[in-house]
This record gives sequence, structure tokens and C-alpha cells, in this order.
Amino acid sequence: MAAEPSPAKRRAENLGSVSARRLSGWLRDYRPYVGVPDELMMPGGGPRDYWLCFLGDFAEYEEGEFDSRFNLATRHIRDTGVSYRIYGEENERSWPINPLPLLLSEAEWAQIATGVEQRATLMEALLRDIYGEASLFGEGDLPAAAITGSTDFVRAMRGVKPPGGRYLQIYAADLGRGPDGRWWVLDDRAQAPSGAGYALENRLVLSRAYPNLYNAMNVQRLAPFFDELRKGLASVAGRSDPRICLLTPGPFSETYFEQAHLARYLGFLLVEGDDLIVRDGRAYVRTVAGLKRADVILRRVDADFIDPLELNSKSRLGVPGLLEAIREGGVAVLNMPGTGVLESKSLLGFLPKLCRRLLGEELKMPNVATWWCGQPSERELVEREINSLAIGPAFNGLGPDGKTSRPRMMADLTSNQRDAFIQRFNDRPGDFVGQEVVRLSTTPVLRDGRLEPAPFVLRVYVASTPNGMRVMPGGFCRTSVHPDVRAISMGEDARTSDVWVIADKPVPRISLLTSADEVKVRRILGNLPSRAADNLFWLGRYLERAEATLRLVRSLCTSLMDSEAAVHSTGETLDRLRQILVAWGAMDEEVVGGRALDAANAALHEREMAGSVIRLVRSARRTAASMRERLSADFWTLLLNLESRLEESAGGVLSEAGILQQVERALQILAALSGLSQENMNRGAGWRFLDMGRRIERGINICQFTRRLADSDATIDDLDLLLDLADSQITYRARYLVGLALVPARDMVMLDPFNTRSLAFQVCEIKAHLADLPSLLDDGMLEQPTRILLPLATEVETEEASRLHAERVLEFEQTLMRLSDAVAERYFLQGANAVPTVKLAALA
Amino acid sequence: MIYWVRHRTTYTYESEVSYARCVLRLTPPSTAAQTLLENAIAITPEPSDRLQRTGPFGEETLTLVIDKPHKVLVIEAVSWVDVHAAPAPDAAASPAWEPVRAAAFASAALGPDSPAAFLYPTSRTPLSPAITDYARASFPPGRPIVEAAIDLMTRIHAEFVYDGEATTVSTSASEAFKVRRGVCQDFAHIMVAGLRGLGLPAAYVSGYLRTNPPPGRPRLQGSDATHAWVSLWCGEAYGWIGFDPTNAILAQNDHITLATGRDYSDVAPIDGITLSPGEQELKVEVDVIPEEELAAEPNADPRSPGRTARRRITV
Repeated sequence: MAAEPSPAKRRAENLGSVSARRLSGWLRDYRPYVGVPDELMMPGGGPRDYWLCFLGDFAEYEEGEFDSRFNLATRHIRDTGVSYRIYGEENERSWPINPLPLLLSEAEWAQIATGVEQRATLMEALLRDIYGEASLFGEGDLPAAAITGSTDFVRAMRGVKPPGGRYLQIYAADLGRGPDGRWWVLDDRAQAPSGAGYALENRLVLSRAYPNLYNAMNVQRLAPFFDELRKGLASVAGRSDPRICLLTPGPFSETYFEQAHLARYLGFLLVEGDDLIVRDGRAYVRTVAGLKRADVILRRVDADFIDPLELNSKSRLGVPGLLEAIREGGVAVLNMPGTGVLESKSLLGFLPKLCRRLLGEELKMPNVATWWCGQPSERELVEREINSLAIGPAFNGLGPDGKTSRPRMMADLTSNQRDAFIQRFNDRPGDFVGQEVVRLSTTPVLRDGRLEPAPFVLRVYVASTPNGMRVMPGGFCRTSVHPDVRAISMGEDARTSDVWVIADKPVPRISLLTSADEVKVRRILGNLPSRAADNLFWLGRYLERAEATLRLVRSLCTSLMDSEAAVHSTGETLDRLRQILVAWGAMDEEVVGGRALDAANAALHEREMAGSVIRLVRSARRTAASMRERLSADFWTLLLNLESRLEESAGGVLSEAGILQQVERALQILAALSGLSQENMNRGAGWRFLDMGRRIERGINICQFTRRLADSDATIDDLDLLLDLADSQITYRARYLVGLALVPARDMVMLDPFNTRSLAFQVCEIKAHLADLPSLLDDGMLEQPTRILLPLATEVETEEASRLHAERVLEFEQTLMRLSDAVAERYFLQGANAVPTVKLAALA
Repeated sequence: MIYWVRHRTTYTYESEVSYARCVLRLTPPSTAAQTLLENAIAITPEPSDRLQRTGPFGEETLTLVIDKPHKVLVIEAVSWVDVHAAPAPDAAASPAWEPVRAAAFASAALGPDSPAAFLYPTSRTPLSPAITDYARASFPPGRPIVEAAIDLMTRIHAEFVYDGEATTVSTSASEAFKVRRGVCQDFAHIMVAGLRGLGLPAAYVSGYLRTNPPPGRPRLQGSDATHAWVSLWCGEAYGWIGFDPTNAILAQNDHITLATGRDYSDVAPIDGITLSPGEQELKVEVDVIPEEELAAEPNADPRSPGRTARRRITV
């Protein structure tokens, strides 16, 4: 210990008495495990300076303040950001965040970064040999069977030149700190490493929760790394301003929201296999303006699944012909298909030798001692030591338990499992590796107001950039909730921490502004992918249908509560109203006969009915979830809010007034949503599809109301309800002092081009949208949706309200439905330009 | 023996297909056991793009793009192949199977002929304890590998029922093993899975059998369509040897290799994707005739239809 107290120590001594007590209490009660290195406590005892500094500041928060700060920040980020889960219906993996970051000093970090960077370089060289000359094999450095067992050894990629001359765009290593204090590599992640998006999320949460602390601690920023990653991807494209896509397995993927978040953060197009098509040796995105080049694809789909034509023919996630396009150089896919072979545990034991051979240097960071049993002497060693080693699969197969791929200790297997394993091992020893059991170091986490040591694993990322390899200064840290420090016990219920690399000097606030002459000014937001157009269109339709259903329910309620003469509740009008709700699938026919209150409740909350408000909102939210990178955080938060309100009230017993209140609130949220889309959404094609969906739905709805409530036999009550549903009461009363009459009411909801709720208004708006959308026809002819719409527009414009019988209205309604189909056919994935692919025969 | 082979595949679609992309593996390779003399592939309608290259297992592939709307697609490959297989190996003198396994795992070659390429399970030939145990009965410790493999082949032939209705083209080895029935594709998959279960390097071979047997010998099962068998690496000295479990014979001068891979997926003669909403019907016709019999064979006339296997392509 230095004689002079360090600045951190002095600061700790100058804390207020309450804070000082809290800090000393934390430190006093903190008990690292014996023989296990700890991040907070030095080997000789006593806390590290930067930790002391951090905890000292942290202790200054009032009792409960850091909880509330942290919880607020977490909720905000979760609501708007990366990984919000709702009602457990998505299989998204959740990673609860620790309130304390993992702190690492700059010197410590330099060691890690050098080791991981060297490893990434080694991995790149290894791939170049495996998929190129294969000289390592011929010369006996590596048996061929040590890689052919991996399903990610993609033989079809042998001899194919990778884009920009490299296989890896992003590589990650899982690290642990061993008992000797050194960092060890536990696992390599080379296929499509996940977690970088979560690391960003964790940083957002912590920097938001403790802004002062974060700024005072000189934490190295993550943003420059992502900027370099983006430049790295852009540099392999054959042209400037390339279109970069992130290829995702889709919303059912465990890390879908992380992928969506990364795509939005990096400004990439998030695409699924269906969005892409290969023509003439190039990859294209299907957009509303036709096929557009996809220059670079950041791959998050496993290699085996990316091309059903050449690889796994059962894959629905891939793009037929993509390998051909890669071979032709028509698209850059990174990481290259086949990089996943590096994740094989069989390779680990060979790496020290391969490093000397390929890089001419010693491996700087060791990996866990591993013996591949495909070699006779290694097999013997593992058999001899079998009870003290962890046994795991050498490749992507099953581990010793025969059920999962997890490494296990023999002692942890049942006797049946052990017998079955021994037979499998004797038949095919090459399927297994034996590994030394790694003990992890610990880092402090907060649990019930106390500091406790938790074992952790740190994932560190390396990206290829035009300026060489770059290491992300931070990472994705997982801490175990169990005190077992053996690495193999890191369970499914891990938590995650932000990783702060503490610089010795203040970190310059890095401006991400690119210098002005590098950026070309543009006003077009790029071409909207067909899938996004489809989703936006249906989002618009769902929201509008939800609003219309809410208005129906509101009328149902007010009719019950109206003390005057209960205008609508008299017989026929109420029946018509209920019929609409049944026809829309908002409620069951059985409920119709019962109490109106039950009917209203059902139309609002019945989860079994596809047309109930709760189901429509859920459909809207699901549609929105699959294109969240295109919606603002406010939009998404409001939509979630709407759904959770409905979910909350679904179980309870509600009075008329209660339901009415619920309906009013829901309508307010919907109004806010439509306000947001009107005022805050860029007027690109995306907004047009959202609004067009809304307009078509509204037009259809108004036709349905009018057919039922304004035919020649309409009563005053019918017309009153119609004006309610069309939100046109006030306008009508102001315009016609004489009271309700059939023809003026019809005119107002159907033909009046100034009424924003009328059919005429919707048609007019749709016309403007269609006129603004790109045309695929280069002969000057009209596209099908416009061919359907223009005659309708003329008819509506020239129609007279007195002749507007139900049959005529039905014609309008059917035309709108045909229009909706034509829009889908022309612009969406199911359109003629993008017939779903069918396997040529039951041949493969 | 020089053979004339005609392999014609006809797809008839319910509705018009606007776009098709296929990969064809219809060119027999030249190997130690056979020499390809000539190969021509005719396609109707005419593809807009044809790309020839060598596939991952050394097979010649032809990638087609057809962007002309069509309701019928005909692919006809005609080959002349000279087959000159080595004489049957001395089974009893072959090496014990365990050292062969060790040699395969130690192999220094990464190429498509290397035993290391055929050691591991695939989706159609997954590791199955039941199949491995079945195979184990033929492989007592120290038994010469060729003898053991002949025994396994003979048992599969004897104990499994040839039944074209029991399985489909996508049936896996485990499924076929359970029902103890199937066709050549299933028997080959089962034998491959069993051999690999014991750690031995086994490949799946697709190819043809001569249509009419030599005088005095029975007609072989699978001669009217494409056939499938197993190739096992029997050590450096013996190399790859073909075993036909469907007929319980070694693959020799009646067998013409079309492609070799880990399982059927690697060697499917035609793989493809179409843009088409409807159903499709498939007809495969194969004729394999020795050169000297060609003149006497009425079906060999390229203009007349060949022998037909309506059900499916592989037997």
C-alpha cells in the first residue's frame, strides 16, 4: 500500500457521515470467496481505487434513491427500447440488468484487448486456410476430422473469395478470470455473435440512471466502436452509399429485439429471408419501388439456413441462390457463411500451435485446457481423468446428458445417462472433448442493499474495420445468481452488467459528426421494403378498426345510461348496433340476447373473439413489434400502454360508467397515436402505407354503418347513432338546424369532401397516396390500385345522397375491398412480383 | 463395359411457373472405377442462364434459371460411361475395422474424397443408438472391415422389406429403420447411419443400375430409376468400396456412380425452387443399356419414351 492515501481513498474519507457509514458497511460485509480473484478486492485485501471511487459516489445517493433511479431508467429503456417483453408470448430471452457495472481499469483492459484482438486475427487466418489452401491439414497441424464434424463447416464455401478479403466482420470471445488472475478464453463466438445490442442497452440504462457518476468516472464510450463497425461493413461493398441489411431469422428468434435495435442504431435495413431475392448473381431487397440492390448483408441467420437451395433445404429463413450470389461477388455476406466452424471445441487444444504456425507468435490469452478425443492420446488422457473433467460436445451435437449441448461433469449424470454416454463415447470418441473445469472470478452485485460477489463471464467484441481490428471498449457481462464459480454452471437465469472501462484521463466527448464533405445531402429515406409496407398498412387498418369498435361500444354504453329517453336503447337501433358488433367478430351471437352491459364488456375484452378491441390492439402491437425499428419510441410506448390498460381491466367487473371511462381513455390513446403519425412521422412511403391502411379501413367502416343505419327505412335513432359513429354530431347540428333527416345525414358521412370522416374524404386521401407511390410500369400506364380507385373517386364525387341506397353503398364498400387486395398484390410480399417460393419437387 | 444412360425428368405443374432456379447433378464423374465419355443435358423450356461448376463433393453441377412462364419442365441427361471396376476385394484379408476408424479420424485430407468428410451424422442420417446397435452385431472386435460390411449389407437385405409405399423421399434413416421397410434410398441411409454410428467413414452414392441383366441373371431391384448405395472407406490400401444393401452385392460393373455425398441431400439429381402457387407432378425415366445391346433395344431410341418409374425418382 502506498504511504500517501490515494485520491479515491481521500474522497471516501470525506463522505458525509450517512454515506460513509453505508460505504463502510458495504465493504465490511463484502466476503469474496477464498481462492477466487475478485474485481473489487485486491488479492492482498482492500478495495481497488476505481471501485472505491465509484462506490463512494454511489453511496452518496439517498437511501432508496439509486433504486428509484435505476428502476426508472430500466423501465424507460425497456418500454421504448430493446427487449420489452409482454405477457410472456414472445420467446425473447430477457436479461435483467445489474444496478452495478463491471469496472475494469484501462491497464487491465489493454491486456484483454490485445489478447482478444490477437485471437480474432488468428481466427481470420485459420478461416483463410480452412476455406482456402487447407495447408494446415496436409502438414499435420490439424486433423481434418477436427472440423468436418461441425455443421458450420460449409464445404460449398471452399475456394470462394470472401468480400474485402475477410471472413469475419465481428468476432467475440467469452472470457473468465482464472484463479491466477489471468483472463482465459472460455468460448469463441464467430458465427454471428449476439449481445452487442444488449451491451448498448445496458450502457443506455446505466448512463441514464447515474449520469454524474458515469461522466465523472471517465468511462470509455461505445459509440465509436459501432461507427467503425458500420464503416467496416460499408467498406466491402462495391459502391459508395451501399445498402446494408441485417438479415434476421425473424420475430421468433431469441434475440430478435436486439437485432432490431442494432439495425436501427446502425441505420441498417432489417430484413428477413423473404425480403431478399437473388437475380443474375446479385441479391436484391423487395421494396415498394421494385427490387433494389442489397450490397452488404450482416448475417444473424446461421449458415446452414441461409440458402435452402444449396444448404438445409428445410430452411424457411434463407434466400435461395444466396451462395451463388456470394460466389459471383454479387453480394457481401458477413460473417461469411462457414465462420461458425470456429466455435467447435475440438479446435481449442490446437490453437497454441496454430498461433505459432499462422501468426508466428505465442497465444497471448490462453483458452481453457481442452482435449479433443478424436486423437488417441488425448482420448486416453480424458478417460483417465474423466471424473475431474467437464465433458462436452466437440461440435454442435449433444453433450454427455444426451439431451442438451451443455458440458457436464460425470458426477452430475444419472447412472442411465452415464451408461449411454460411455457407449457413445466408445463408439465415437471424436464427438467429445474433455475440458479443465474453469473457476470464474467474481464481481460485486447489489442484492437487498448489500454487496455480494457474483461469478461472471465477459463477452468481448472485435470488429474488422478499414483501420484494422477494433475492440469494443466494454462488453456483455453475465453474472450468475448462484454462488458456484465453476464456469459450466452459468445457468439460464443469469443477469447482465454494463462494462465500464475506466480511463486514467478524462474521455473526450466524441462527436460522431462526420466531416461535412463526406456526406451527400439526401431527402429520400431510402426504399421501403415490401414487408414493412405490408406491416404498416395493416397496423393502420387494425388501429382504425379498433377505434371504430370502440365507438360502437361507447354508443352501446351511452344508450344504456342516457336518462332522457334512452334514445338508442329502443329496440331496432340497439339491435343494429349489436349486429354490427357480431358481424365484426367483436362478440358472440350468444351475448347479443343478454344484457347490453355484458355485450359491451365482451366487445372490449373478450380474448376469444378476433374482432374484440383487446384482440385488435394486440394484433396492432404484434404488427408494430415486427418493425419496431421504424416506429418512434413514443408510438410504441403508447401502443403498449393501450394494450396493458385493456389487459388490466379485462378481468374485472365493470359498470356502464367504468366501461365508458375505459373506452374514452382508449380512444384518447388512439387519437394520440394518430396525432403522432400525422405530425411526427416522416412523409415517406412508410407513412403513406400506414395512412392508406387507416383510410381504406375507415372508408369500409363508414359504408357498413351507412348501409345499416341510413337506408330508406332509417329512424331518427338510427341516424343519431350514425352521426355518433362518424363523429359528426357537432358538424351536423351546426349545419342543419332543422334536426335529423336522412339525405343530409347520408351526404355528410358519405359524400361531403370536407368531413374528415366521410367516405369522400378517405377516397380523396387515398388518391393522393397512390399518386405519390412509385410506379413499376415504365410504359406510362396506370397501376392496378389506381385503376380501381379513380372510377370510385369519380362516382363518389358525382353521386347524390338521395340515391344512395344500401346496394349502392355496398358497391362502394366492395370496391374498397378490391382496392385493398390490389394494394397488397402490387406492393406486398404476396404480390405477383414476389410469389412465395415453392420447392421444385419432393426430391430433396 | 460402356453404357448408354438416359435420365429424363418431367415436372408438370398445376399452375404456371414464372421462375425456377435449379441445381442439377446429372453428370457422372470420372473415377478410378469409371470414365465419363460423354454427357449432354437438354432442358425445355430453354433456361435463361446456365452455370456449370464443381460442387462441394466434387460433383459437376449445372445451375439453371428459367424465367419463361411454363407448365411443363423436361430435363433430359444422356451420358456414355465406361465402367471398369476393380475386381472384388479379398474381404478376409482386409484390415480390422478399429484401426480404419482411427485412421479416418487422423486423416490429413480435407478434400471431398477424404474419409474425414464422411464421419459425422447428418439430418437424414442422424446418430441413432438403435441403428448403431444393429450394425454392431456385424462388427465384433477385430473383424476385417470388408467382411463386416458385407455381413451388415446382407443382413439389411435379408431383414428389411423392399416396399415403395412405406417411405417417402424425405424419410430419415431412423424412421425407415423403425418400420423395417423402404427402398434403396432408405437402405443406403440406414447402412450409412449404422457405419457412422460405429465411427466409420461411410458415404451415400446415387447412380444407376443396368436396365436388363446379363443372360441368366435376375433383374436387379432399382434398375428402372436412379439407384442408391453405400461407399465405405476401408483403409488406405483398400480405399472406397461400394456396398449395395438393396441387392446385397458389391457395387461393381453393373453400377454407375452419379454423385457421392453424406446423404441424399448432397446428391439429389435435381434440386430447385420455383415461384409457383400450385401442385406439381413428377415423372422420372431411366434407361441404362450396354453399348453392344443398344441397337437391339427399342426403348433406346431417343425419340421414344423410356421405361417409367412414376412414383419417385430413387428406388
